[in-house]
Amino acid sequence: MTGFAELLLSGVMSGLIIGLAGLAVTLVFGIARFSNAATGDTMTLGAYGALLGTTLTGSLIFGGLVGLLAGALAAVLSYVLVFRQLANRSPISSLLASIGLAFFVRAGLGLAFGHNQSVFQLDIVRPIRFLDLRIQPNDLKFAAIALVTLVIVFIILHMTPIGRRMRAVADNPLLARVSGIAPRPVMFTLWAMAGAVSAIAGIILGMKTVVSPEMGWDMLLPAFAAAVLGGIGHPVGAIVGGLVIGVAQELATPFVGFTYKIAVSFIVLLLVLLVRPRGMFGRVEGVR
Amino acid sequence: MDAYLIAIAIVSGIYLLLALGLNLQFGLTGLINFGHVGFFCVGAYTSAILSTNGVPVAWSLLAAALVGMLAAWPLGVISIRLREDYFAIASLGFSEIVRLVATSEGWLTNGVQGIAGIPRIFSGVTGQSQAIAMLAIVTVFCVLAILAMRRIVRSPFGRMIEAIRDNEEAVKSLGKDPAGFKMQVLLLGSMLAGLSGALYAHYIGYISPDQFIPFITFQIWMAIIMGGVGRISGTVAGVIILMVFLEGSRFLRDIAPFIPEVAMASIRLGAIGLALMLFTIYRPQGLMGDYTKR
Amino acid sequence: MTLEIKEMSKAYGGLTVVDRVSITMEDADIIGVIGPNGAGKSTLFSLVTGFLDGNGGDVVLDGKPLGNASAVERAQAGMVRTFQVPREFAHMTVRENLMAAAPGQGGENLITTFFRPASVARQEKEIAGKVEETIRFLKLGVVADTPAGRLSGGQKKLLELGRALMTGAKLIMLDEPFAGVNPVLIEELSQKIRELNARGIGFLIIEHDLGALSKLVSKLYVMDRGKLIASGEPAAVLSDAAVREAYIGGGAN
Repeated sequence: MTGFAELLLSGVMSGLIIGLAGLAVTLVFGIARFSNAATGDTMTLGAYGALLGTTLTGSLIFGGLVGLLAGALAAVLSYVLVFRQLANRSPISSLLASIGLAFFVRAGLGLAFGHNQSVFQLDIVRPIRFLDLRIQPNDLKFAAIALVTLVIVFIILHMTPIGRRMRAVADNPLLARVSGIAPRPVMFTLWAMAGAVSAIAGIILGMKTVVSPEMGWDMLLPAFAAAVLGGIGHPVGAIVGGLVIGVAQELATPFVGFTYKIAVSFIVLLLVLLVRPRGMFGRVEGVR
Repeated sequence: MDAYLIAIAIVSGIYLLLALGLNLQFGLTGLINFGHVGFFCVGAYTSAILSTNGVPVAWSLLAAALVGMLAAWPLGVISIRLREDYFAIASLGFSEIVRLVATSEGWLTNGVQGIAGIPRIFSGVTGQSQAIAMLAIVTVFCVLAILAMRRIVRSPFGRMIEAIRDNEEAVKSLGKDPAGFKMQVLLLGSMLAGLSGALYAHYIGYISPDQFIPFITFQIWMAIIMGGVGRISGTVAGVIILMVFLEGSRFLRDIAPFIPEVAMASIRLGAIGLALMLFTIYRPQGLMGDYTKR
Repeated sequence: MTLEIKEMSKAYGGLTVVDRVSITMEDADIIGVIGPNGAGKSTLFSLVTGFLDGNGGDVVLDGKPLGNASAVERAQAGMVRTFQVPREFAHMTVRENLMAAAPGQGGENLITTFFRPASVARQEKEIAGKVEETIRFLKLGVVADTPAGRLSGGQKKLLELGRALMTGAKLIMLDEPFAGVNPVLIEELSQKIRELNARGIGFLIIEHDLGALSKLVSKLYVMDRGKLIASGEPAAVLSDAAVREAYIGGGAN
């Protein structure tokens, strides 16, 4: 029973990371209207940024902030240099360019930091025992960070003027254009948010496991699966979707083995697309 | 002939088979296949497993083409009706799953160690004549594939896939189901990829899962975009440009041997990534211009 | 040929854009549907032709209920639509556009393409003959070998009509065939529609241009905000007070 509970717990943790990555995917899809394949490598960038920041300042918190800023900045840059140029073309152009960007970022990180795995120097803390269940205090902190991130995203989307405009664009891009919503501040905020959220996901993943140039690309399928499962364009849905996938992966591991974990998210993705393409929470999408 | 040039020509031919299939799918039909390397992988493993277990190479090549095609069938059945970007992601996922299977099912694929000692196509001859024989085989397949593409382009089938690329909704309004055409195009392209994989396995002699990463898929994408989407001649040109680039990066290492191979791999990855971005932004029609003029 | 559109409905969230609209066509008629912008006419077309899933209602074609048949199946059943913004195959010539529309082409699969080229060539010749007829009928001869993307708006509308004819449709549904078309061509297009109708093809036409339409149709349906507000003979409908209100109030031109 404890074994099961611990699997569940570890599933929730990886689910939060997948959920955050899915949140970044869903934000971009909802507003910029394409699947951003560079999300995973923005995560990697955030993790390396945090690693570098931690080494320079000696503080994990400052390091984390450096990583977060790096992610946000990179995402805004990618909008200005790449995706804005493609805004009026088919979403496929942006998708293809985002794959190019993903390779480019990964290559840059590989050149700058090498291909060896790096780790964050975290203090080793004795796990908390709770009803026979061992809980890592760090996991609690990571979960708290993930939740705070979600809350902040929610506050920005629902309680600020720029957030209301973002949601207006998400609901109806044509109408938003006609009613004169200036796209630039909306898009800058969107990309900064998506980049920061990806970076946080990458930093948590890096702290829980190891940092390597390939870490983010491998998260791409789970992230897409979470976004689609949650109902594309639906922020809370992405987190819930991520949790479902994270737990499903962990629970499936004893049966299918460690390597097939990624396959779980692929199967979830296909099932959702086939059975309920609008996801758990999604609105009905209009005709193309 | 210089052994080096022969080697490059063989690899170019193997890439060309991949690129012709992808050009049929994306360039002519508008089907976004991000999982092309998956079928290449299936073909390579099929032929490698069969031939190392005593099946004659001629049969293992045929089997590789068929199994490559069959592998595409479930993907098509499940996802060909999806929206185009969802299909793209599903196909990318599919190729990752194929690689996962190649990694995990050690009893069949020898896992991460890969399969070594894959027999050459003409085991009777050696050295230079072996290479020339290989080149001849690859050339024959490429010529056949190009002739097949030309026939398709000029057939009613070709007219219909072009119509699908131009406007899928209008095709539906005429009572024709785009999914059926896309399925055939997916199967044929995957057959070519399977064959290409088999030729690759027999030429290199050793395969392992890490040779079948998505990067290969996007190198082929880069080639067809550079050459001009939808044109057969453009596909050939694109593959040549890709080879010049890949080989050029090898020459760079000869000049600057202090650059380690891992760094070189990163440079190649970054350059392909950069090129993908720049071409989609500035020259989506490719170097050779508008695809409507074939 | 008979058509019965029964209580078609479509709602987005709380907004009902098509509200239980029923239209009946007996014996291959020409019927018009008019209404101000946003009345739900085009949505109705998409529902009837299966391009959009509705929230209730059915279509009965020649006594056969179509239920939840797909857009492709509906077109195969003989119900072919055009689009408000023409959807020509832009990179293909007018001739190729028309060739592509011919039904039952054996050469449309790879097996016959590669293994039975002679039978494909034979069928191509046959289809090419029909295409010539269609080109002559619609007077598209001058542009027959021009890429369709370069045609004028009116020519594209003609081309879409031509494609619908090539499919052998029993019922052709035209979405604003006169919009952006010059008056001379409108008159000619109307004449073609009458001729085709005389050969037994039914027409359901959405239009803004009341003048041209009321001369063409035998029956007129008026939609406003998703609902049918009037139907009957054109002259009677156009003098109806509610219709005048909807039109003038809706700011139609």
